[in-house]
Amino acid sequence: MMDCAHYRRSLLADPRDPEPALAEHREGCGECRLYTERLLHFESRLHRALRVAVPDSAVPPAAGGRPAPDRTMPLRGRASRRGWLAMAASVLLATAVAAGLWLSVPRSSLASDVVTHMREEPDAWRRTDVPVPGRALQDVLRDSHLRLTAQAGVVSYANSCAFRGHRVPHLVVQTESGPVTVMVLVHERVSEPVEFDEQGYRGVIVSVPGHGSLAVLTRGPTPGLETTLHIARRVQGSIVWTD
Amino acid sequence: MKDQVGGNQKRARFQALCQSLRPDLLRFAFWLSRDRALAEDVVQETMLRAWKAQDSLLDEAAAKPWFLTIIRREYARSFERKRFVTVDVDELVAREEPMLAAAEEQDLAELRAALLKLPDEYREPLVLQVLMGFSTAEIARELNLSGAAVLTRLFRARKQLRVLCGEDTSLDPLE
Repeated sequence: MMDCAHYRRSLLADPRDPEPALAEHREGCGECRLYTERLLHFESRLHRALRVAVPDSAVPPAAGGRPAPDRTMPLRGRASRRGWLAMAASVLLATAVAAGLWLSVPRSSLASDVVTHMREEPDAWRRTDVPVPGRALQDVLRDSHLRLTAQAGVVSYANSCAFRGHRVPHLVVQTESGPVTVMVLVHERVSEPVEFDEQGYRGVIVSVPGHGSLAVLTRGPTPGLETTLHIARRVQGSIVWTD
Repeated sequence: MKDQVGGNQKRARFQALCQSLRPDLLRFAFWLSRDRALAEDVVQETMLRAWKAQDSLLDEAAAKPWFLTIIRREYARSFERKRFVTVDVDELVAREEPMLAAAEEQDLAELRAALLKLPDEYREPLVLQVLMGFSTAEIARELNLSGAAVLTRLFRARKQLRVLCGEDTSLDPLE
């Protein structure tokens, strides 16, 4: 069996390594379980620390935008950019003309925005049996005034994400059908369930009376929409609103 | 006309792809360069190069590593074009304060300052793993290292970071 030093070395290299031998060691070693919980709390802070704020108004040059002027930007940054901006402008002009003919501009629906957000956090989709430390989960859920009961299952990922101008809980729950993403959208209302299947993600957005809505997504060909709906209902049933 | 519509749809998809990836690309460039203005320059130039070379991106699922490779090359080119002055890390933290402290969680400032102090060879694989969601094999491919070397760097990165942050490291293993 793996010893504690080996286990902790592996954990420090990749705290979410799904290797079965690591899980086996963790099950049998209380000290390493505690070590894992503390490290995952540190990891959650590390993830948030790395997600530094970036300019909201920034649009890819190819899309016709340019970053807002920044008074704190050093001069050398501005000077080196000027030449490229001129080049970008010519590319953009051509793009702008073509834009008038575009027939397939992505719709800015709630479902599309949720799917786009998923693509920004691919590491959340790992299959694992390691839960997020309780304190880290509470931190994420606190601002949305809710907590989860054990019925929700193993929550392996929890982050407070910027979404449509608000911070929202982004969770990954491990289910028998694999990892399922849940976004608690207290500021978004839907009048009826919205089912979607876009860019490899399928899911449903369901109304939560008095508390906005809940987006539940799966990735890949399975599970089907019916299973996703079932999971959505289960997650919804495990939420306790605290306000 | 049909070809034109197809081309326009393709461009629209590429544009949406750039839009969705740009925040993390900016973050990656920032942690790579430790300089906000330079990060924005590098990402801007990356977008232009990517725009011109979009036909070489055959699989959208591989877009992230594709962009990251361009960013790393652009960052390397920025050294060829200019000679940078070495700066003190404390000065760097103060200069980048608006970006570092913009998040709601002020307690993360210490962790960010520690990240800036990590040697480049440790910080980069850590950012690829934690922020960009790369597997060990993908990091190894991107940095042209063996898998074992990547794991060693990730281990040392977290170990140093925890010491810099004053975490309880009494149970951390020795190398």
